Amino acid sequence: MPKILLVEDNEMNRDMLSRRLTRRGFEVAIAVDGREGVEQASTGEYDLVLMDMSLPEIDGWEATRRLRASPDTASLPIIALTAHAMAGDREKALEAGCDDYDTKPIELKRLLSKIEALLPDGS
Amino acid sequence: MIPDSDSVVSEAAKKLRHELRTPINHIVGYAEMLLEDSEAEEFADRRSALEEVIAAAGEILGEINTALPPSLAEPSDEGVRRLYEAFQGPRARVVEATDRLNGLPGVADDRDFASDLLRIREAAEKLAPPDEADSKSAGQHRDEGSRADAEEGQSLILVVDDDENNREVLRRRLEREGHATVCAENGVDALEKVAAHSFDLVLLDVMMPEMDGYETLGRLKLDAVTRDIPVIMISALDDMRSIVRCIEKGAEDYLPKPFDPVLLRARIDASLEKKRFRDQEVDYLRQVDRVIEAAASVESGAYDRASLTEVGQRADALGRLARVFDSMAGEVRSREMRLRTRVRELRQEIDAARGSVSSTEAFEGGQLAAGETLAERYEIVELLGHGGMGAVYRARDLELDEDVAIKMLRPEFVADPESLERFKTEIKLARRISHPNVVRTHDFGETEGVRFLTMELVEGLTLRDLIDSRGQLGVSAVLAIAAQLAESLVIAHAQGVVHRDIKPQNLLLDEEGVLKVMDFGVACLSQRSSNLTQAGAIIGTPAYMSPEQLIGEHVDERSDLYSVGVVLYECLSGRPPLDGSSPITLIAKVLREDPPPLGELTEGVPEAVAALIHRLLAKNPNDRIASAATLGGELARMN
Repeated sequence: MPKILLVEDNEMNRDMLSRRLTRRGFEVAIAVDGREGVEQASTGEYDLVLMDMSLPEIDGWEATRRLRASPDTASLPIIALTAHAMAGDREKALEAGCDDYDTKPIELKRLLSKIEALLPDGS
Repeated sequence: MIPDSDSVVSEAAKKLRHELRTPINHIVGYAEMLLEDSEAEEFADRRSALEEVIAAAGEILGEINTALPPSLAEPSDEGVRRLYEAFQGPRARVVEATDRLNGLPGVADDRDFASDLLRIREAAEKLAPPDEADSKSAGQHRDEGSRADAEEGQSLILVVDDDENNREVLRRRLEREGHATVCAENGVDALEKVAAHSFDLVLLDVMMPEMDGYETLGRLKLDAVTRDIPVIMISALDDMRSIVRCIEKGAEDYLPKPFDPVLLRARIDASLEKKRFRDQEVDYLRQVDRVIEAAASVESGAYDRASLTEVGQRADALGRLARVFDSMAGEVRSREMRLRTRVRELRQEIDAARGSVSSTEAFEGGQLAAGETLAERYEIVELLGHGGMGAVYRARDLELDEDVAIKMLRPEFVADPESLERFKTEIKLARRISHPNVVRTHDFGETEGVRFLTMELVEGLTLRDLIDSRGQLGVSAVLAIAAQLAESLVIAHAQGVVHRDIKPQNLLLDEEGVLKVMDFGVACLSQRSSNLTQAGAIIGTPAYMSPEQLIGEHVDERSDLYSVGVVLYECLSGRPPLDGSSPITLIAKVLREDPPPLGELTEGVPEAVAALIHRLLAKNPNDRIASAATLGGELARMN
């Protein structure tokens, strides 16, 4: 069962998305801020990270940069999520090291296809 | 090279997009999930309503994307207002559809379904138009600590949650209900704000970074200042353990997330109501303390009328008590002031008289000489004077090492059993009375056939001395004498004792102006006729006797009041009201003639004072002032 780490500070977003992914057969773990996200992702237990960009402590951009800088997590798939959906956000996310980018409100089908595309075969 | 979007797009625009798109994310996400759960045939009604929710949310998103394209630099206030206006239609449909869903059969019992519906409803609320007051700040960062304290009648509620959206939902709901709010984003922030404002209620999230809700609650309940602020815990946790833990720590109530608006309102209203009652109770007890303090301060003479002003404004029984108390305390105080003035003037009269009164009379063949010791205990110092029954000496009580007065029974009475009996009666009666205005009687003794009585020694002079020395006394001084005389008689009469010989010679005045009644030697028990008085025998001093006493009729307390009238009349005018060259003419006058009006003899006597004295001098006891207590009361009221 693929393991996804959801880094999200908004309680309702966390509740909703984690439940929806669980229903789709994913195992979902939660981190509530950027620092916790980096710590948990570094355990090596996860197949993919869904990273909200506006987080307390350290934001999603910075958390992604740190994960990329570490050899253990340099190739961990990360999908950036943001409700800002501003011009340039996508490019900024990719530049920071994200593998993909999606906006809120989440279209589940679109997000799932992005997840599937990034998951290593067989996980 | 990627363009640095931050330089083009303002923070406000980013924030506004985030604020609007996040609730859409919630609405759509939860609705889609519920839709998946409603695939069964029987849930067709649920499906159609949920599809409507999703469609309406899509319309709202369309409006947002049109009004706030990704490249928009800075939304105008007017643009923001128009945007909110534009999506209120679909927002209303979301609300309406959730209402409909709530009413469908089985929904109320399906806890998970109902709970997710509440989340949709909550998200829809975040899309309501900003209130008039904060319309300008929509999309801008709110300075959450800056809200002023509640207006009159408004409750001030602190919302503590690390999740900005939750804070915002609660803030809006509470303000829509007419409450004022302050928000805090963590426990430390909350404690700071509690110290700065006076809150009626705290809504406290359990799970927060740094200092969590349990810790914050514990600190609030430890501090005496904040202990009484009710706290309602809010949390996504709804397990019994959390609830119990919070209640044990002193939380008033508990609210699970997502919030049910009806439950939220009911619990908040109930907590606020309890807080109001508690505040009223605390206030009441504080004001009761004020009244008690005021009572103590009256005793110590430090009563400040302003201290009861606030309590006196209450409409209830406590307010009435405070008002009555204040007016009584004021009355007592002014009486005290009057009495003090009167006594001061009396002392001035006494001081003036002392120079001219010779304190020692010559021995007139007294039985005892200075230096002689009586009963191996009392050393005679000097002769003080002669009472009705014998000489009075100042003596040293060698045992107790203090000066006392010793009254001897005349030698010619020693053999007379009736006189002896009367002497004993004096002691018995006098010992019944313990009052600052009555000379204390100590002992009855006998040695070598000499019988004597020991009494409190009063350093001063008799009222006789004072009148003789001054001629007439001032009105204030006379009122001071009258008040003390009345007080002593209230006590004596209450014990059933009638003095029967009130006259200036029996009234002692010490240096402080304190009057002391002495010589209860002819007093009798008013309740029974005295077998000591033979028919026709006159006991007392005729000039001060009541008509009924003069003719040997039954006497009661009112006879003493007549004597008081004579004494006061003499004090003011310098002469007794009626005079006779012989006892017979005196008796005739006392029985038939009215005394000349005081006002004709002395100038400056207030009419009320003169009238009072004439009422004491009424021939018929029934026409006199009824009791010493009534006399005291009337004197106290005189200005």
